[in-house]
This record gives sequence, C-alpha cells and structure tokens, in this order.
Amino acid sequence: MTVVLGFEGSANKIGVGIIRDGEVLSNPRRTYITPPGQGFLPSDTARHHRAVILTVLKEALEQAGLKPADIDCVAYTKGPGMGAPLVTVALVARTVAQLWGKPLLGVNHCIGHIEMGRLITNANNPTVLYVSGGNTQVIAYSERRYRIFGETIDIAVGNCLDRFARVIKISNDPSPGYNIEQMAKKGSQYVELPYTVKGMDVSFSGILSYIEEAAHKMLSSGQCTAEDLCFSLQETLFSMLVEITERAMAHCGSQEVLIVGGVGCNLRLQEMMGVMCKERGAKLFATDERFCIDNGAMIAQAGWEMFRSGQVTELEDSWITQRYRTDEVEVTWRD
Amino acid sequence: MAALESETNNGTGKLEFSLDVPFPSSREAIIALQSLSPDREPRKGGISKQLTVSGSTLSVRWSADEARILRVSVNSFLDHLSLVLETMEMFGPPVSQ
Repeated sequence: MTVVLGFEGSANKIGVGIIRDGEVLSNPRRTYITPPGQGFLPSDTARHHRAVILTVLKEALEQAGLKPADIDCVAYTKGPGMGAPLVTVALVARTVAQLWGKPLLGVNHCIGHIEMGRLITNANNPTVLYVSGGNTQVIAYSERRYRIFGETIDIAVGNCLDRFARVIKISNDPSPGYNIEQMAKKGSQYVELPYTVKGMDVSFSGILSYIEEAAHKMLSSGQCTAEDLCFSLQETLFSMLVEITERAMAHCGSQEVLIVGGVGCNLRLQEMMGVMCKERGAKLFATDERFCIDNGAMIAQAGWEMFRSGQVTELEDSWITQRYRTDEVEVTWRD
Repeated sequence: MAALESETNNGTGKLEFSLDVPFPSSREAIIALQSLSPDREPRKGGISKQLTVSGSTLSVRWSADEARILRVSVNSFLDHLSLVLETMEMFGPPVSQ
C-alpha cells in the first residue's frame, strides 16, 4: 500500500490531494479569482496560495482521515508554471517532507494531468490533448517518454479564452472559460475568425488580436453580440484542436483520445472531439472538473507512479522551474 | 524569533545584508535551510545570497549591486522564511530520525 500526498499551485489554483493505490482519498482546492477584466499576476497569486496552503493541507489530511505518519511520499509540482506560486508550494512540500521524514518527489505538471486522466478514465494508450490556460499540447506515449506531437507555437488555448473574457469583462468566477462556454450556448451568429493550424501545431495569438479588435468594432456598432463572439471563438479554437488531435491519431494509428487540462471541462470541445472520434471509430475519454482543473491529487497520482518505479527527488535538486517540457521526464513506470 | 541585521559597504562597492535566525534546534535550522536554498534567485544578475547553518542558527548573507534589488530579494526571502516557520509551527516538531 502506497499513500502519496500531492501539492499543486502552478497557476491560480492551490490544491492538496492524497491518493492511496489509485483511490483519491481527498482533494481540496482553492481558486484565486480576480475581478472581471483582470488576469492573475504571479506575486498576488503566490500571496493567495501562501494564505491558504496550510489550511488546505490540513483539510486534505482530515478529509482522508490520515495522519502525517500514514503518508509514504510527498509530491509537489516542480514545474512548469508561474515562478512565485511554484516556490510557495515547494517550500511547504519540502518542509513537511523533512518534518515527517518522508521522501520528496518533484512532478511535471503536464504529466500530473496525464496520469490523473489515465487513472480516472482507464484509457489504455490514448492520444492526449492537454489544453489549459497555460498549456496546449498533443501528446502520445512512446518508449518511455510522453512525446509532444503538436503544440501551440505561441499562447495556450485557455489563455486565448481567458484574455478574451477580460475584453468583454465577464466574470472570472468560477473561471472565465466556463462563463464563455455558457455565453456561447446563447450565440447564434457565426463570425468568421482566422483559422491558424500550422501542420501539427497551432497558433492562437493572431486569433486573439483579431477578436479583440472585432469585439470593439462589432459590439459597439451592434453587428453582433458578445454571445455570438463567444460562440464563434469556441467553434474556431476547438475545430483547430480537433484537427491537430486527429492528425496525431492518424500518425500513431491510435483509437483513443484523452482530453486533460482545464479547457477539457468544456462540453462543446468534448462534443466536437466526440464527433471526430465517432467518424474514426475511436473512443473519447474525458474527466470532470474535479480532475480536469488543476488539483493536488493529480500530482499525487503522478508522484505515486514515479515513487513506485523508484524515483525520488533530492532536496538540493528540488528547485522549481517555470519551463519544463513534458518529454523531459523519463516515464519509468510504463514500458 | 529575533533577527540581527546590518547593512555595510565593505569597499567592494556592493551592498551587504546579513540576517541571523535562531531555531530551537540545529535540526530545525537545517530543515529551514534545505527548504529555502534549492530555488534560484529569480533575478540572474546583481544579487547573490548564501545560506548557512551554524549550531542552531540559520545565517543568510546577501551581496547586491543596488539597494532596490537587495530590498526585493530580502523581502521575498522574509516572506518565504515566515511560510517555512509557520509550516514548522503547524506540522512540527520533526519526527525522530
């Protein structure tokens, strides 16, 4: 029996989760939500995490009904992500690991998402679409690495959505992407936007500039509603994601798709991906907001896999890093 | 927690700042050291710091080119230190080895 405690705080969510042999014992989380029109800055985010992390850690232990002695390993997000919040979380992880005399494990955030997706959905060997506010990658496992088949060449798809939400000043509660999704349901007019797939990769910053300008022009002249723009943006962005996912599947001869990351909560994206999968006779896997959105248990799960395959992070190597490629990690727990 | 601070210019043209933090035991000072030392200074140039433990005291020595760079680094460190102390308060004392 192996029990792993995982800390996650690379963006505006701070979560602590406990996993015991594939069972999620607890997974409390808090989100730093900024006023409409504003994004979250590193120092403010770190301040938010710092204020609540010890409380959330206590909650995780209480909800799991465990004491520190019951934990076998302490996992935390080594990167990628925002520097100041990552440091805040790493400090607590290092400190409790030492206080409790437990080994420490630095986890790659993207791999946390993948391993949680695999655990929850039981997908065998899927093509993974990892889409969030900070990342957009199409990943497939091959020979001990999670290989990046395609990715954004500039900003993440979630970042495009979040920044558009600021332009139209909608609420960031519970998340800007969620509110765009609700508004998109009421959109009826399709506004043509640039479509920028580049081979296996995608680009979003051009679409963002275009729609920011279009919003100012069209909304003030009444040519369309904010709902129409939300709808059009989703249709465009998601079509691009479906295209690059399908391309990767064709390369790998894959019959499974797994969507992970915060944007993966979006039901319209799941719907569109589902249509493509059906056409190819492939199966679609997705998780709900508990596990799509950044959480501590996903770090615990990746940590569980790493720990059981013999990996450990020495304290002097436990520095955080804002850039950490998914394919940098040797996936020692799979053949 | 009592801290001793001094700011002197020792002729190298650099600003120096030192901080000494007493802990209840050497073990706890080392725990704090090992939590606070792995991350690199975000700013690459113009500042460096060194953490050491002597007995049960954690000592930090900064060397900076400019006062504002020094201030940012020391401020950051004090925030981090207080988080580590709070964590040790809530989840300590360390288990016997």
